[in-house]
Amino acid sequence: MKKIMSWLMLVVTLSVALLGGFAQPSHAATTGTEDSLARVKAKGTLVMGTSPDYPPYEFLVNRGGKERVVGMDVDIAKKIAKDLGVKLVIKQMDFDSLLVALETNKVDMVISGMSPTPARKKSVDFSKVYYKGGQSIIINKADKGLYKDKDSFENKSLGAQTGSIQYNLGKKQIKGSKMKGLAKISDLILALKSHKAEGVIMETPSAQAYVDNDPDLAMINGKFDLGSGENDTAIGFKKGSTSLVNAVNKSVDEITQKKLTKTYLKDAGTYMKTNTHNTSMWHYSGYFLKGVEYTLLITIISVFFGILLGILFALMRLSKMKLVHALGVVYIEFVRGTPLMIQVMFVYFGIGLFINIPALIAGIIAVSLNSAAYVAEIIRGGINSVAKGQTEAARSLGLSQRQTFQSVVFPQALKNIWPALGNEFVSLIKESSIVSIIGVTDLIYQLKAVQTATYKGVIPIVVAMIIYFILTFSLSKVLNHYERKMKHDA
Amino acid sequence: MPEEMIAIENINKKFGDTEVLKDLNGKVEKGQVICVIGPSGGGKSTFLRCLNMLEQPTSGKIMFENSDLTSLNESQINQLREKMGMVFQSFNLFSNMTVVENVKLAPIKVKKMSNDDAQKLALKLLAQVGLAEKADDYPASLSGGQQQRVAIARALAMNPDVMLFDEPTSALDPEMVGEVLKVMQDLANEGMTMVVVTHEMGFAKNVADEVWFMDGGVFAEKGTPDQIFEHPQNERTQDFLAKILEA
Ligand SMILES: Nc1ncnc2c1ncn2[C@@H]1O[C@H](COP(=O)(O)OP(=O)(O)O)[C@@H](O)[C@H]1O
Repeated sequence: MKKIMSWLMLVVTLSVALLGGFAQPSHAATTGTEDSLARVKAKGTLVMGTSPDYPPYEFLVNRGGKERVVGMDVDIAKKIAKDLGVKLVIKQMDFDSLLVALETNKVDMVISGMSPTPARKKSVDFSKVYYKGGQSIIINKADKGLYKDKDSFENKSLGAQTGSIQYNLGKKQIKGSKMKGLAKISDLILALKSHKAEGVIMETPSAQAYVDNDPDLAMINGKFDLGSGENDTAIGFKKGSTSLVNAVNKSVDEITQKKLTKTYLKDAGTYMKTNTHNTSMWHYSGYFLKGVEYTLLITIISVFFGILLGILFALMRLSKMKLVHALGVVYIEFVRGTPLMIQVMFVYFGIGLFINIPALIAGIIAVSLNSAAYVAEIIRGGINSVAKGQTEAARSLGLSQRQTFQSVVFPQALKNIWPALGNEFVSLIKESSIVSIIGVTDLIYQLKAVQTATYKGVIPIVVAMIIYFILTFSLSKVLNHYERKMKHDA
Repeated sequence: MPEEMIAIENINKKFGDTEVLKDLNGKVEKGQVICVIGPSGGGKSTFLRCLNMLEQPTSGKIMFENSDLTSLNESQINQLREKMGMVFQSFNLFSNMTVVENVKLAPIKVKKMSNDDAQKLALKLLAQVGLAEKADDYPASLSGGQQQRVAIARALAMNPDVMLFDEPTSALDPEMVGEVLKVMQDLANEGMTMVVVTHEMGFAKNVADEVWFMDGGVFAEKGTPDQIFEHPQNERTQDFLAKILEA
């Protein structure tokens, strides 16, 4: 869980910082007063950012078909909110996105099993440590005799989350180890079971959770040489939030004194038991259904705006006015030349600096803007495919350029590009899945949620795969039907 | 005193560095039928397309009903184009519309005619070109000759003052040429002003009031059909006619 910021986040953070530089001259520095605590109290809510895929720290449970974030970190956040006299709001997102969310004021604090490493301390303020975990290694139970501690893994392959501290520990402290990095713990467990890795390095409480819930797994103490901070877990705040950090530290002190984390971990264990009580996919159908709903919602709205904007950009690119043409070209080429993933993060965090947009809206905006560039090129091709004589005939009858476009060129272009537009629609269903990184609860997001909740890696993937296929296949069928009808008409 | 409809004054047209039309002059009077003939590549199409500004002349004036087309803006040109029907070599019927919709489109969009009136007008014009029963078919299902007759009806629907024909029969199978020429001849008989670029010498001989022979971007010779076909003065005209008659 103790991930180092990936390079991707760095890019976004930089651009966000750049934008932020214009947007808000860091007011803490100029005014001298620091109002982080006052602001939380004024709005009456404490927004916690977390990545609920890390039991027992934070994970999702299925309560009557609805999902809830629970775990030790949630209990801690509840206590803090209660101590401050405000309401707790939980915002879910990928671990990767948490620090940027702090930076851009999307959340007030991050509690997500995060370690206060020296690198992180440069950009984030941390509370006192509320929990000290150890590092363990999960192995297949069948191999129990083979491995004792980290040194048993010399020249063996080991798994850990990409960019995590565990990954670095394995690499530095085990001679000749072949480290295998994956983003999700659940995927690492799959790798372990299929012997792509002989062990997975993980924090002790998490390792315990997996072992408790999977009879095929066992854990051993890694006996790693742990430096400062790497073993600790603390709460992250935006740099300069001194008053808020001080207030929260009082709660942390109390938690430490009363050893409350013990109780919290026990609660988490109970949740995990009930979670694994019924792990049939049917039990989680509500998750998948909600995922389908969001995936379709995002796709349909994005197709609509993608086509509208796509027409606009296509016309701009076809325009004889040099500036308009140039703007069209720049937009289309730029959007097609950058990954959708970055665009999603840029809209959510970058634009979010100026106006606070919910993740769902940000996702829709990003996907629409992205699709618009591709649709624009399809439409441009379609318009160019309409014979010049059609335009000349219309113009010779006295139709204006606009009337010619509306009545003659565009309908014919549309007929020519219908199959390509359909493909774009179908691929949007698949590509929109990227919005899960900012916490939009689409099908991919729900797939991961079910994976963490059930400790089952493969079956949720199969279910999601089938659902995606049903969606795209039936859509293709429908589109084909209209394509044939259109051909028949003309 | 004959009424002047179009006056062409010192028209030049260049595509890049190639000079396609060189200092053309001419007058079209109301009710006249002008046939433009000449070897291909001579600039006939380009000339005709300059008349309704589908091509912008590089210099010179085109006076149409007392306005200089080359000095007008987009919307003024659109208004004058209504009065100049054009028929193309490749028909250019709108493939996304039925025959009757093709004819109705401009009256509804440009003249803001009601759909009912436009429908009546279209059916009348389709009957005039002998295609009333094809009203609801799509162009793709019609023969070339039928498509060209629809194209003529479509142009007539705007009630133009002059009709421009750009080699209207060149893309047709020989057996269909007659039906289109017949429609054009009827139009001429009704007094329509027409400028026709054509390779149909028979049509030019029988229907034209004046024949303009064009070669190398200039009108090498102008005259009545009798003058041009029976007593050509210009060497190039003589050559051209000799080749045509051999073929
Ligand atoms: N859009 C254009 N761009 C460049 N050259 C052209 C264009 N249209 C016509 N031309 C050239 O102009 C000359 C005259 O063409 P055209 O008017 O079609 O002659 P005609 O109709 O007598 O056969 C030809 O040499 C042709 O290649």
